[in-house]
Amino acid sequence: MGFCMSVRDVLSPFTAWKNLFLDPVTIRDPLNDRPGAARYRGFHQNDVGRCIGCGTCETICQNGAIDMVPAEGIETKQGDSGLRPRIDYGRCCWCALCVDVCMTGSLTMSNAYKWVESDPDLFRFTPGVDRKYWDDAERGYRRPEDHRLTPRERAHMGEMAPEARIGSFDEIVHGYSIEQARLEADRCVACGLCVATCPAHMAIPDYIAAVRDGDYERGLRLLYDTNPFSQICGRICTHRCETTCAARHEGDPIAIRWLKRHICDQIPHEKYLEIVGKPAPATGKRVAIVGAGPAGLTAAFDLAKQGHSVTVFEALDKPGGMTRWGIPEYRLPYDIIDREVAVIRSLGVDIRCNQRIGRDISLKSLRNGHDAVLITLGLQLGRSTRIPGSDHADVRKSVDLLRQARACEDFGTPRQAVVIGGGNVAMDIARTLARLQKLAYGEVRVTVTALEDFAHFLADPEEVKEAGEEGILILDARGPQQVVVEDGKVVGLRTWRVKAIFDEQGRFAPSYDETDEQFHPGEMVVESIGQMTDTALLGDALSEQLAWNRGRLQVDLGGRTSESWLWAAGDMVRGPDVVSAVADGHRVAASIHAALNPMKERQ
Amino acid sequence: MRELYAKLNRLFPLGELTERRSNLAFITLTAEYLRPVLLHLRDREGFSHLVLLTAVDWLEEGQFQLSYLLSDRANGRDIGLRLMLPRDGASMESIHDLWPTAATYQRELREMFGIDFPGSPRINEEFILEGWTDIPPYRRDFDTLKFAQENFVARPGRETWDPARHMKDQLYPDGA
Repeated sequence: MGFCMSVRDVLSPFTAWKNLFLDPVTIRDPLNDRPGAARYRGFHQNDVGRCIGCGTCETICQNGAIDMVPAEGIETKQGDSGLRPRIDYGRCCWCALCVDVCMTGSLTMSNAYKWVESDPDLFRFTPGVDRKYWDDAERGYRRPEDHRLTPRERAHMGEMAPEARIGSFDEIVHGYSIEQARLEADRCVACGLCVATCPAHMAIPDYIAAVRDGDYERGLRLLYDTNPFSQICGRICTHRCETTCAARHEGDPIAIRWLKRHICDQIPHEKYLEIVGKPAPATGKRVAIVGAGPAGLTAAFDLAKQGHSVTVFEALDKPGGMTRWGIPEYRLPYDIIDREVAVIRSLGVDIRCNQRIGRDISLKSLRNGHDAVLITLGLQLGRSTRIPGSDHADVRKSVDLLRQARACEDFGTPRQAVVIGGGNVAMDIARTLARLQKLAYGEVRVTVTALEDFAHFLADPEEVKEAGEEGILILDARGPQQVVVEDGKVVGLRTWRVKAIFDEQGRFAPSYDETDEQFHPGEMVVESIGQMTDTALLGDALSEQLAWNRGRLQVDLGGRTSESWLWAAGDMVRGPDVVSAVADGHRVAASIHAALNPMKERQ
Repeated sequence: MRELYAKLNRLFPLGELTERRSNLAFITLTAEYLRPVLLHLRDREGFSHLVLLTAVDWLEEGQFQLSYLLSDRANGRDIGLRLMLPRDGASMESIHDLWPTAATYQRELREMFGIDFPGSPRINEEFILEGWTDIPPYRRDFDTLKFAQENFVARPGRETWDPARHMKDQLYPDGA
């Protein structure tokens, strides 16, 4: 047979030998050496430090494969539920919707796709918490940069231009149209992380859903369930909720405050009274409240709804407290406060103005005529820097000037003014003075000197930005040293640069660079460095009886003082902001209601 | 692509042109002009290959959108034709006689969206869903989660926590 072979037949097997020197096409160990493609949607990874437990992955999962579970070593805190997604691989179909919707980008998919177990329950696992071999895999599916299920930027809010707004006290912010509000509401994933942060724990995702549905009556009902100052908070709330919004991680936080305002703006005033409803049958109990600010009136609202007879005594000639006398009109028009108060009055709350305790009424008489007394005195006294020259008549306190400005009293608008302070109140008085100057003299000459540097500034960034746009000069890290007085007149403020505000123990003890001195001219200096309660109103005898804690009235969780008939609430026991005062008003009302109904409480 | 669009537009009443890349563009048109435009593109312009045929459910508008993607391999360019159909009783002329592969796409669309293509081979036979009794699953009013929950059991022992409620329990248990 071999004799019949041609030369070619003999050589041909050897031609295959050339392939010996090429890379093999086959994979040597296909069970181990075959990684998934670079963007393969394999097993989940979760950067648990970045994950905020918002549960959006669970909500979007069309297979019901994800549970949110507490995870060891992960604490619940502001902006983080402390829960982490656990995935049931018996149901997952690797569609990656959970990765696409993830609000922080913490949830991704590795390119790993092999996992063998004999116990099927092990395929339910918490990525990033239960350690897996693919945890550090660098390849796999991540949401592409431009691929977003929710828009990154908030719906545009119209505002008056700086040139237009500086010459008047007109409200700056326009408010959302229905279309804008719906767009903004659509960005909310309704995770509810914000609810814990809101001092009043408002039902934020629910009222945003009401905006989305266009059901404003439902929205307003939800607002009034937790906050009878919703119209006001919709404009000037410190909106801490927005600092813990899930959307802030990869874009703008939801404009929660503006959506609240939007709901309020859509409902005609008559409808408010209908929605808020009628009080419960009269209980015959009488409660006196001193101070018609947000804390006092919120407590009045709650107690009146529960059927108690409530009388509010207000020292000034109109109710509203700091919302009326401390916040400039360009941020909060007066009629909003009037509408808010009218709702509270509609429940039968008797608000008596021009009734100052210690002058027109006494706490003792209130005690005798009522079953419970609540004091909400607020922070009406401005603190002084006590620097040389600060006792001059043209060194004013911002709290006094704001009150005078809102009462349209002429306090002698200075041609040039210097404000000491870097908080929101300092911005309020600077911007108020700027408007008065523009109206009186046609030009703005206001300098703000703040102790803090811009990296640690106290005022909201938008306040600083808007003040700058209005022509106000803001200087950071300036420590006031002396109000310079010449020939009996204030001529300006001398400052040193601040090196540090706190000492090594963290106590307030500013240190200065004395070589960096500046002089800021102005014929009025306004101190805006904090406020305190006028506790003298309580009278010596009562002050002696009451327990105090570092200058603040000591109260229990429900706001009750050491005197069983007396409660206290609001700025005088909490931090100064409206929504905290509202939350405190609810708390103290619940405590008073429980005390007035001891039998019911025991059941 | 603009040149091609201009040329086509002289022959047929077309909707707008959307250019995605220099070699990829989409043209909207009405259903009645689909066949002549497809024929023209296939026989005169070199778009010999039907890449895919797919649909989008515009539920709120009450319409389905069909997209026919064609490729001109010689010149390395693709063109998509888009048209809208009323969602109710959706039906479209079959193009299986132009490209036999269209029959497969049309059968898929019949099953997943419920769009009929009368005369298309085996159009009413099951494609990948066996024994399907629900509404077509790619319609946006099909509740995928509900279907999954009703048809696939969860392993016992599963438990979930609502983030907002969990935070309330952890951070302010007494309601404060």
